Amino acid sequence: MTTLEQLSEAISLGKNKDARLFAQRAIDENIPPAQIVDHALVPAMALVGERFKRNEIFVPEMLIAARAMKEAMTLLEPRLIAAGVTPKFTAIIGTVQGDLHDIGKNLVATMWKGANFRVVDLGANVSPAKFVAAVQEHRPHLVGLSALLTTTMPAMIDTVRAIRASGASAVKIVIGGAPITQQFCEEIGADGYAPDAGSAVDKASELVAAGAIDSPP
Amino acid sequence: MDTISLIEALVDRPLLCDGAMGTQLQARGLKPGQCGEEWNVTAAARVEDVHRRYVAAGCDLITTNTFGGTDVALARHGLAARGREFNEAGARVARLAAGPGRWVLGDVGPLGELLEPWGTISSATAGRAFRDQAAALLAGGADVILVETMSDPQEAAIAARGAREAGARLVIATFAFQAAGDGFRTMMGATARECVRAAMQGGASIVGANCGTNLSLADYVRLGRELVEAAEGHPVIVQPNAGAPRLVNGAAVYDESAVELASCVPKFLAAGVRVIGGCCGTTPEHLAAMAEAMRRHAAGDRG
Repeated sequence: MTTLEQLSEAISLGKNKDARLFAQRAIDENIPPAQIVDHALVPAMALVGERFKRNEIFVPEMLIAARAMKEAMTLLEPRLIAAGVTPKFTAIIGTVQGDLHDIGKNLVATMWKGANFRVVDLGANVSPAKFVAAVQEHRPHLVGLSALLTTTMPAMIDTVRAIRASGASAVKIVIGGAPITQQFCEEIGADGYAPDAGSAVDKASELVAAGAIDSPP
Repeated sequence: MDTISLIEALVDRPLLCDGAMGTQLQARGLKPGQCGEEWNVTAAARVEDVHRRYVAAGCDLITTNTFGGTDVALARHGLAARGREFNEAGARVARLAAGPGRWVLGDVGPLGELLEPWGTISSATAGRAFRDQAAALLAGGADVILVETMSDPQEAAIAARGAREAGARLVIATFAFQAAGDGFRTMMGATARECVRAAMQGGASIVGANCGTNLSLADYVRLGRELVEAAEGHPVIVQPNAGAPRLVNGAAVYDESAVELASCVPKFLAAGVRVIGGCCGTTPEHLAAMAEAMRRHAAGDRG
């Protein structure tokens, strides 16, 4: 196995120490940090997302893989910054107004980071105005809205409406959370629905790829 | 009421728990994001009204409005210091509405944050939070502690243990499952068997499922069967959602009708489930239809 393959495996299995060891070895082998991210970290987290979607692993395994990825990133990040490498896509994420739940939202944020998105996490109970302000400040390619309570689903409608009305028409909006369905997504005019944190990565990649062709923000 | 008699009553007949609280409170003016537990103190009459509607529907078990009543959960509203007051008041109002012949279940929901090592909450912090909540619920008149909507068996065990330490003579523990492959798992990946074992080790005597993600009524029946098998003779409780919500005129609407839920009652009972109730989207109307189905079942009409 190459060093990058070993690093990838260490991350997908959540092996912290190995992740650090192989990340350091990859750096010592003079592999550019961006390549380490693209060819080891991203595929590792993609595999984790796939296995999560297939119910082969669950939240704990996903979290330990994310922790191993962070371990590797602590070594890579200063080098990425020094090399002037920044993620290609930016995403904003938050739980909608009135909803204080953030476990699911945090998982999606983690998986998006694993797919090499820059993620701005606005936290929970985020008002439509705060989403709009963040969209204007960060000019993201993607906005993720989360809701756990059925009673806060209507806040998603207001948020989608507010973001569209703010003139940020090119930004893609993905929604998710236990009570959310594809039908609801279509009803409120969001761009995509993801049933779980693994699918959220696929949906995000699909939407930004489509957006990159027709309308760069 | 004497909690031993709940177990005894279950030997004689299946019992009906109540249905959703949050949506009922919102129908009475609770705003999204507002702390529902605070209403036990500031709008107790409205909470009592919900309980009374479930009593009138024929429910045997009345659940307090204290799902997010641990200090940890209340802290998200900046109300951690009010825990004892909200829980005691919640139990008192449920006790008042329940009247004689019914049991009050002191409701304990998840902390809403993951335990160490996945999250930041230590077992000691969790244990204290659950113990304090249970103590206040018991002081207010709860007969039983209901630990519900759990995903992490460890958290459920800590909650059940906390309730027992606070003096609860009977603890019910239920978990939120999702379909995973051929079977069911919680968000944390636990099987029905793992959940049941952990809950019992923590001191729960009745175990089961409530809520859940994207489960059909047929799924709940299958899950009930699995739980009965795993519980090895202990009573099992299942509280399904009323289907998946759809948006109608800006409000989430659940499609599963009272008739459909009631039609599942004989199936749950045939599967060996001894306590049936409702979770998200269920109303007093759903529960009244289920009560009628239980009466028909008891009268020998198994259709």
